[in-house]
Amino acid sequence: MLLICGTVPAADVKPIMGPAVLDKDELVVRDRRIPCGQGTAAMLSAACVTTTYLGVEQPYALIAGDTGDGRGSRQLYKYLIDNVAQIAPDVLCLHYLLPIVTMMKTLHSALDKCPTRPLLLADAGSMYAVKAAGLAPEFDVFTPDPSELGFLADPKATHPAYIAEYLFASSCDDAQSCIESAYENNNAAKVLVVKGRKDYIARDGRIEAVVDEPNVPAMEAIGGTGDAITGLVAAFLHAELEPVEAGILATRANRTAGLYADAGFGTSIPRIIGEFERVFSEHLCAWSGVCTL
Amino acid sequence: MAALFRKKQQAFDGQGLVLFARTRDAMIAEKALKRAGIATRLVAPPISKREGCDLAVEFNSVERLAVQRELQKSHIEYLDIDLIQDDAPQPLDLVRTTRMHDFVMVKAANMKITFDARTTEITNVSGGGCPDVPYLYSMLVGKRLADAPRPNDIGHTLCALMLDVAYMHCLNAAEEV
Repeated sequence: MLLICGTVPAADVKPIMGPAVLDKDELVVRDRRIPCGQGTAAMLSAACVTTTYLGVEQPYALIAGDTGDGRGSRQLYKYLIDNVAQIAPDVLCLHYLLPIVTMMKTLHSALDKCPTRPLLLADAGSMYAVKAAGLAPEFDVFTPDPSELGFLADPKATHPAYIAEYLFASSCDDAQSCIESAYENNNAAKVLVVKGRKDYIARDGRIEAVVDEPNVPAMEAIGGTGDAITGLVAAFLHAELEPVEAGILATRANRTAGLYADAGFGTSIPRIIGEFERVFSEHLCAWSGVCTL
Repeated sequence: MAALFRKKQQAFDGQGLVLFARTRDAMIAEKALKRAGIATRLVAPPISKREGCDLAVEFNSVERLAVQRELQKSHIEYLDIDLIQDDAPQPLDLVRTTRMHDFVMVKAANMKITFDARTTEITNVSGGGCPDVPYLYSMLVGKRLADAPRPNDIGHTLCALMLDVAYMHCLNAAEEV
């Protein structure tokens, strides 16, 4: 099972878990319909399209409403701590959660009770908590943007808004140096998929691939493009692709979808996700050898 | 299922610090913040941070904006909001503005707002990973700058704080366009 856990922007959504289904621009989890906007909804939507295309089991969503006060985040941490061993996911993705270090540590301990250790992916607030808890090397994949890479590279930073000025000024343009620093300080997962003007896929401190084509500059401005990449990576991991390969395919697919959507600065994320199926049908076989469904 | 979500004592994360001139203010603040649902505890500030009294309120540094707003709302005087760690980097105040055809993108620290310069409609919000970011996206995108709520008024976290910096720069940039 691929389990994606994160908050959605509504105060009234109690924690729910179930298979995620994409219905046009809305995500359906049990009886709740969530707009496919920026955040965990975009990640789940991207994962849904990908698993459907690949013919593998759809992702399961564990979501709760949280408008920033952390209540929904705490409920999700608690639910996972109490239930993750029974759920026994193969791939566990932690996304938009308030970074609560103590709860992240407890959750990590709870993972020991799983029959098999799941592949672990973290992004957004969950990734901040994993770094602060000193657990980054225990995770298989992080998917930071350049600001978040700066945060991982700065051993003293507690949040991407608090990174050293020189890292912000350079936007980690020297990705190699930032990636090395993140690994040297034990603040990186085994694989990093850095989502930026150029996408970098690194393993154990070494850049394995750089993806910079097609170049669609407006993608930087579109909320949810990074979340979509994370959803693609999650789905490819679920289809048992190796993490570096998953990162390469995800970043290529996202860029190509942006091109197909003729993405501009006013484009919203559902339009880009809507192009994934075409991208897969035209390119996935050639890119990856994944040709049969 | 309901039993799984029964309320227990909240786990506590710190790193953020509110400093006060008077001990009484620290105690009042701690109660007010707890009432607002923000996890806090009373601590002795590190020697290097002591400016006023010997009592400070510790909170999860990510929730800086919510703490600041609650203290202002409750009219509680404080000296400063800081980080416990001595040499921790401070919030970034660097802002970049990029003009692309009819659109303007303003980036403050890790947060970005893009608006259409012809109409001032906010077309995108991106960056950040705190749980109020998708909420802020849903509240801002599609609205004209002047009609959108200030991120400081509805957000809780450092991401919201930085988005507010970007928003204020957008207002200035819209006047200049």
